[in-house]
Amino acid sequence: MENKDFDPTESMQVISSMINTAKNKLADDGFLLIFWGWLVIAAALIQYVSIKVNFEYGNYVWATLLPLGGIFSAIYGRRQDKKKNVKTYVDRYLSYLWGGFGIALVLTLVLMSQYGIKVTYFMLMVLYGFVTFVCGGILNFKPLIIGSLFSFACAILSNFCGDMNQLLIISVALLCSYVIPGHLLRAKYKSQNV
Amino acid sequence: MFKDLDPILHSQLRLAVISLLVSVHEAEFTYLKEETNSTAGNLSAQIQKLKEANYIHIEKKFKDNYPLTICKITPEGIKAFELYVKSLKQYINLKK
Repeated sequence: MENKDFDPTESMQVISSMINTAKNKLADDGFLLIFWGWLVIAAALIQYVSIKVNFEYGNYVWATLLPLGGIFSAIYGRRQDKKKNVKTYVDRYLSYLWGGFGIALVLTLVLMSQYGIKVTYFMLMVLYGFVTFVCGGILNFKPLIIGSLFSFACAILSNFCGDMNQLLIISVALLCSYVIPGHLLRAKYKSQNV
Repeated sequence: MFKDLDPILHSQLRLAVISLLVSVHEAEFTYLKEETNSTAGNLSAQIQKLKEANYIHIEKKFKDNYPLTICKITPEGIKAFELYVKSLKQYINLKK
């Protein structure tokens, strides 16, 4: 591009072409959705099997996997940020959304002993649904919005089930709201960056 | 009434830079260079002019021991861009 004067119609073309360039880049590669989806599903299913076979250390799976996942995500996020040479408004909205979600999640888990498994799992599924609903809206990505509705439905369903089945329901909620939309988002991201 | 087009913005490269910056939160020099398809020297001179007009804010720091220039549009820059687009629309309508 040269540094020359030009007529107003060309000005308009430059403006719209540059704004579209910045607007059309998909901000999320879906990796962390897939990672967290599978991680929590793995933790829930390991605990479920542990209870079934009377393995007393099954609870430790959460205490081990979640902090490790947190550390991995922080390192991954930092590396991704370093690779990016532009920060869009969408990036900024998403970082605040996921930051707020992380705080809400920790607070819910901290109060788990006080409110019991049923209320906590209900809250978790509502939070998963909420974050993926908003994220889907920001990214204009329908599978995330549809997935979030499944998570809300699972939250309602969990009210009618016992404590044991909460582990299975939360796995389904994560599969629908995180894993499947995450894979679809990643495929779209990759196709855009070929 | 037709307003004169802002001479700072009425230049292809400077307008492209401002249009990119108005759409993002902040951008590195390399991003602006890639998207505007310009040379480093020319881009550097043009963003300096935008900075002198107080339309953009430039932050210089280091990333992995390499110099890094980050550009961000200022409230004055947004105002000037909006006014430029408004004047442009009036001008195009007058020509029709």
